[in-house]
Formats: sequence, C-alpha cells, structure tokens
Amino acid sequence: MPKVEHLVYGDRKVFTVSAFNRGIGLHLGRLPTLWVEGEVTELRRNDAWANVFLTLKDPTTGATLGATIARRTFDRLDLDLEEGESVHVAGRAELYEQKAELGFRATTIERIGLGGHLLALEQLKRKLAAEGLFAAERKRRLPRVPRAVGILTGADAAARGDLVATIGARFPAAKVVICETRLQGNGAAAAIVSAIAALTSHPEVDVLVLARGGGSFEDLLPFSDETVVRAVAASRVPVVSAVGHEQDAPLCDLAADARAATPTAAGALVVPSQGELELALAATRRRLDLAARAHLDRRRNALERQGERLRRAPRLLLERRRSALDHTGARLQALSPLATLNRGYAIVRTGSSALRTAAGVASGDRVDIQLASGSLGARVDEVRP
Amino acid sequence: MSEDRSFEDLQRELEEIVTRLERGDVPVDDAIALFRRGEELYRTCVQRLQGAELRIEELAPTDPGT
Repeated sequence: MPKVEHLVYGDRKVFTVSAFNRGIGLHLGRLPTLWVEGEVTELRRNDAWANVFLTLKDPTTGATLGATIARRTFDRLDLDLEEGESVHVAGRAELYEQKAELGFRATTIERIGLGGHLLALEQLKRKLAAEGLFAAERKRRLPRVPRAVGILTGADAAARGDLVATIGARFPAAKVVICETRLQGNGAAAAIVSAIAALTSHPEVDVLVLARGGGSFEDLLPFSDETVVRAVAASRVPVVSAVGHEQDAPLCDLAADARAATPTAAGALVVPSQGELELALAATRRRLDLAARAHLDRRRNALERQGERLRRAPRLLLERRRSALDHTGARLQALSPLATLNRGYAIVRTGSSALRTAAGVASGDRVDIQLASGSLGARVDEVRP
Repeated sequence: MSEDRSFEDLQRELEEIVTRLERGDVPVDDAIALFRRGEELYRTCVQRLQGAELRIEELAPTDPGT
C-alpha cells in the first residue's frame, strides 16, 4: 500500500490537494468489484479517445453515476448500445483525482437480458391492471363513421401504406390525419406520447390507430412504456392498437379500446364499408317512404270511416225514432179496449155512452152491443138491477 | 344544412325520424314536415358518401427529444 505523503508544520500534518485526492482514490480502490444496473442516458465515444464515457441513471429515483470504460474493451463488446437502454455494468468505484470526481470504472457492460425486461413488464402490467387501466368496462365503442382517423406511424412505409389503402378502399369519403414519429429506440416513448397528444387534439379526429408493422420484442418496448400506456388509456378518443406482435402483446394493446393484428385489419375496424353504408341508407329511405305513406294511409282511412259515420247518421236517427214509436204503439195497443174485446168481452152502449149498470136501461130499450168483430143491435127483454 | 355535423349524427337523426313515422303517433302536419326533413337528411348523407376522395392531412411530428 503506497503511502500518501504529507507535509509537517510543527505538530500539524497537512496534505496537498493532490495527495488528499490520491488518498481518497486509493481508499476507494479498495472497494470490491461489483455490478451496477442502470439506464444509459449519455454515451460519448470517439475514435480519438482512450475511453468511452457514459452516464447511468436509476430510472426510479433519477440518481446518476458517471462511468468510463476503455474504448477498446467497449468496441470488443460490440453492443451497438443506444441511449435509453438498460444495462448491467461490472466495475468498481474510481476517483478522477485531478477533480476529485467520483466515477465508476467499468470492465464490462451487459445489456439487461429479456428476463429483466419481462420481469419489469410483468410488474408494470400488474400495477396498471390493479389501477383498472385494462378493465373491460373502460373500453369505448369505436365510432361507426369517424370524421377523421388519426394515424400514429413510424417511418415504416408498409404499415402506413396498408392502413391508408384499406381506409381509402373501404370508405373513400374518409379523412386521415397522420403523424409520423419515432417508434423505437431512445426517446421513442416520449415521441409516441407527444404524437398521441398532437393527434387527439386535432378537432376532427374521432379515433386513433397506432400502426406499427411488427418488430422484435425490444423494438416494441416503447409500446409497453408506462407513459405510453397511460396516454393510450387517457386518450380523448378510442384507440385501436395495431402494433403487430404475435406473442407478448405490448401493454398498450391492453389499454387500447380495440386491437388489430395488422394495419389492414385496423383499417377495417375504424371505417365502415361505403357500399354497406349506401345499402343501409337506401333501406332507411325505403322505410321513410313506407312509413310516411302508411301514416297518410292511416289518416285517410280514419277520415273515410268518419265520413261513412257522418253519412249514416240521419238514417240511424230516423230508425231510432221509429223503433221508439213502435214501442209506444205496442204499449198503446195493450191498453186498447179492443184488446179486451178479443178476449170475449163486449161493450153495451145506449146511444153513445157505454152501459155500466143495469138500471141505466128499461125493458124494451134499444142497445148496441160491440163485439171484437162486428156489433149487434138488440132490445132489452128484462132488467135485473 | 347541418354541414358541420358528423355523418353518424345525420344518419342517427334520419333513423329517429323513420322510427317516429313508423310508430305513427305524430300529427299529420308534423308527419309531412318529418318526411321532408328525412328526405333532406338522406340526400345529405348520400352526397357526403359520393364523389368524395380520401383526404390526407400530415401533422408535423412534435419530437420532444430534439
């Protein structure tokens, strides 16, 4: 262990700055080699430099750590490392003695394997699911005929072309609003979030399609980024995720209102077929005609029935009167004395008045006897009062 | 008429008119007015569909990273 020299002023030991730094450096150098996990936020490599400089960040707290690695070592690793990637770095603490800056001297770098990503994804998925972000009752119905379809796409011409061609073929009256942005690599998540914001703030956009024609697990990682998933869930308009991937659907698929396996399938989801729409319209029009005609027919029939009743009314009135009269006639008939005569009675009159008592006549008087049918002229033989 | 309303909106109104007429509980003067309105909606919808070409609008990407 080399000794750090100090100066002596009487009974005081004094270190120069370099000596102090060197002492600390040596002390740090005794710490063990270990692995550090972090996200690469800055990566500076130059052919003229002996070292590659990178900054590692803790994605949860934002704490950073500067690290260096020999350029040759770095090049031999052939990582094709990009900013934003998560890595494991092996090395030990190191002091840059000239400035007393603490750093990390790396001996090797490993990109975190899929295992790490999968674990993080699974944790995020559980967390967002617990918040209800993927719940079925949050899913919104896609508009049947959107005023405009917002399309978020990358430089991938095929996905964009398929989607636009499908929309144009099914529904030529459509309007699409396209925002092309970075969909993979460093900063992709932020770019996607801001493209979603731009598209959903367009006044005509009624539905949004995330169109990406597949890609490797890592390429699709931005679509599982928490900020992207939250932006999809919070979108003003329904979102169709057409981020093609067979297994391990990115989390934005779960937050989206609908998902499509391909951009072509997404096109069929977001616009109706114009032919079908025209047929439906024609059918509605036929119903309109029929309904209007039926309505008028009903009114006309009602009118005719009323007219008929009006015409029948006087005759009806007359009939009713007649039957009342008949009734009265019958009652009158029942009271008639003629009906009594029919039962065998007779009326005896002297002159014009009916005879009610035997004392009303004397023997030899002439009386008229009225029978039910016909009458008799008779003379009284005997009076028995 | 109704130029700023969405196609879906117009179609919905047309459907409502047809349903009301089919139910038949509207006064006859209203029925005639409804029929006229229905015809007008139908024509507007058909016009919207026909003779239109796909319109494409590009939004400038807003890249927060640059």
